[in-house]
Amino acid sequence: MVSTSRHLQQTKQRLWLNVGVTVISVLFCLLILPVRLPGMELLGIAPNWLLIWVVAWSVKRDPFEGAIAGLVLGLLQDGMTAPLPTHSAGLILTGILTARLQKQRYIQEDFVSVALITFGMAVISETAMAMQVSLQMMIESRQILPSLSGVWLYHQRVALSSAIISSLWAPVLYYPLNRWWEKQGIVED
Amino acid sequence: MFAIRRWWGLYARRAGLIALAVGVAWAIRVTQGAVIYEIYQWITYPLQAGLTQPEQIENAYVLELQERIVELENQNQSLKSLVDYKANLPGESVTAAVIGRSADHWWHQVTLGKGSRSDIAVGHVVSGYGGLVGRVIAVTPNTSRVLLVSDPNSQVGVTISRSRVMGYMRGQRGNRVTVEFFEKNPDVKAGDVVVTSSYSRLYPSDIPVGRIESVNLSKSPAPEATIQLSSPVGALEWVMVQPFEPLEDVDGPPVELVPEGEP
Repeated sequence: MVSTSRHLQQTKQRLWLNVGVTVISVLFCLLILPVRLPGMELLGIAPNWLLIWVVAWSVKRDPFEGAIAGLVLGLLQDGMTAPLPTHSAGLILTGILTARLQKQRYIQEDFVSVALITFGMAVISETAMAMQVSLQMMIESRQILPSLSGVWLYHQRVALSSAIISSLWAPVLYYPLNRWWEKQGIVED
Repeated sequence: MFAIRRWWGLYARRAGLIALAVGVAWAIRVTQGAVIYEIYQWITYPLQAGLTQPEQIENAYVLELQERIVELENQNQSLKSLVDYKANLPGESVTAAVIGRSADHWWHQVTLGKGSRSDIAVGHVVSGYGGLVGRVIAVTPNTSRVLLVSDPNSQVGVTISRSRVMGYMRGQRGNRVTVEFFEKNPDVKAGDVVVTSSYSRLYPSDIPVGRIESVNLSKSPAPEATIQLSSPVGALEWVMVQPFEPLEDVDGPPVELVPEGEP
């Protein structure tokens, strides 16, 4: 009886420790978003830290968990910029797709594959943003075509720069987070 | 009933955590990330730049003074013929450091290290060395967020200082800023000084904005000119925040400006 209650207490402690680590890592990502450190930007574009976090979270989890993480982090990024167009769409997609990839089965576990996933997901989430911006313009604007082509030209530049710089920085976040979750037995090795 | 209770027994904690996470994220979204920006300000406070200003900013300042003189000369001429000229006196301005850039790739924003405690409020106009920079769109006690004029969502009514031709300026994605004119054949040439117009709802009139870089008169539906902003929007360190009351509701659709000289 005593041992069960102690065990229960330990599990509870571990749960809150895990929640703490998760919250602090997200907070770290949020706080580093407005910073532009030398060497951390490409054509004025900084790594998409929240996207890297969602990828790191979803790689070894199920699509539902990935989607929830995408939703939450997307809402947070909306709060830090502007509510429309929402960042949630791209990040939810990222979470689901990353989880669906079944990395253990098809791709080897290393930094390169995480960087590759981040590259692809950055392109997808920027595309989701560009589509929302275009849609918004079609609804609101009087003259669509010149500005629409501008959006997609800009999208090309942003998607490529963001994909390159985010995939380069992905291991920085993925490695410690994944190690922690593996050690806690939340995700399998 | 039993199934629901069993489900609750199994997933109560998980559901609770998900609800908590979504709830907190929603709250932060609704409060425009106030908590995060306050923490950001608190952490970066020791790292914020001192009063060192590179030559670029000094040059921009000289450029601003030149533009102001051109604008004043032109204004003086037109003033002689006006009787009911009403001066809009600018209030006390606050100097604030830029402590962060935009938190994603689709918005051109900066974060300032002063907020409502320094009497900054939403709608106040931000200018840097060189001229107009943007306007405040969100404040927390110690930070404020500025939408730059280079953002596609900010539209500014502008006047060509030399010929008083009206137009409106909007940012294009990727650091280009263009002006669309209301007249079919505007009197504009490269090098002309651009200032905010008196029709602008969100900005006070006669703040220097930049110079015309190139003009494209054949552009449809309206002639267009590309502007070189005189303030280094990409490398801002210090800015001045000027109190300003927007004339109408900010979130409404942009008004159709009436070109000057037409009945």
